[in-house]
Amino acid sequence: MIQEHEGIIYKISRVYFDQEEDQKDLYQEIVYQLWKSYDSFDDRSKWSTWMYRVALNTAISFLKRDKSKLKKVSSEGLDNFKMEPFDPVMEERIEWLYKSIQELSVVEKGIILLYLEGKRHDEIASITGFSTTNVGTRISRIKEKLKHQISN
Amino acid sequence: MELEEMKGLWENMSEELDRQKLLTDKMVVEMTRQKYRDKLGQISLPETVGTIICFAMATYAIFNFEKLDTWYLALCGIISIAFCLVLPILSLKSIDRMKKIDFGKKSYRESLIQYAKEKDRFIKVQKAGYYLGFVFSLAVLPVAGKLMRGKDLLLDAKLWIWYIPLALIFHFLFSKWVWKHYSSIAQGAQNLLKELKD
Repeated sequence: MIQEHEGIIYKISRVYFDQEEDQKDLYQEIVYQLWKSYDSFDDRSKWSTWMYRVALNTAISFLKRDKSKLKKVSSEGLDNFKMEPFDPVMEERIEWLYKSIQELSVVEKGIILLYLEGKRHDEIASITGFSTTNVGTRISRIKEKLKHQISN
Repeated sequence: MELEEMKGLWENMSEELDRQKLLTDKMVVEMTRQKYRDKLGQISLPETVGTIICFAMATYAIFNFEKLDTWYLALCGIISIAFCLVLPILSLKSIDRMKKIDFGKKSYRESLIQYAKEKDRFIKVQKAGYYLGFVFSLAVLPVAGKLMRGKDLLLDAKLWIWYIPLALIFHFLFSKWVWKHYSSIAQGAQNLLKELKD
């Protein structure tokens, strides 16, 4: 299951960190946490909702934690962590996209990621724990922030 | 770039990402190994604590063995000491053998076969512990009575009338609870190995 959705974990790692080493550490930590808490996964809730919730919570805790205390899974497992390159123009646009998102706050990063993943407002609300109205307001605010960033 | 344009770019990138494999089998095996050990740790931790208690009791009984001044108290002492020394070691050893299965190096089939073998060994030890545990619960009382209070409890008939059924009930209920707990952990560890097939 985790392997099927590893692209999501990669995107979350890149949204929260710009340095490859940090992205790698977060990626490993998310995979480990998903793996560890898989037993607690409730079949009644959707797999992807649960996965986003665990992954985003892990990313937020990861930012707060002392990295030396983290349980490392395997440094060998992610030798080829970097994505295969796209064409240069696309690569540049993606880089710029991640950079713009990284300017946002921790919570905003999570919300915009879910928005870009195509999640509806009510789905974002159920993953993040905010109300649907609050999610709508936050997305509008993020749009403004991003517009402002672009114009600068 | 507008947000909708960003969304389009994100979708393109996601499609591309879905085609790429980042999570290696090596990492999956490593994580399974950790989770497998953590799971068996749920059995080995209480067993280790139990072993320490048993060893402490056995040591105390050995150093005060001369106080067991009748043949039947000495026999109870020997049974208690043997139980406290042998069974915990056998139990820890059987858990350690399950823990040591290196499924990173073995094939899926080999790992499962070895696990089934080690699990069977562990179950046999636990079963032996269950039956011998009752004998122990009968033997340890006169030993404890003599060593700690200087009394020969075997001569106290009234005590045995209520102690035997109580020990039997407690032993049965406690063993049942432990058995249920250990079985679910052992099954969980086996399921982890089975997940490796995919």
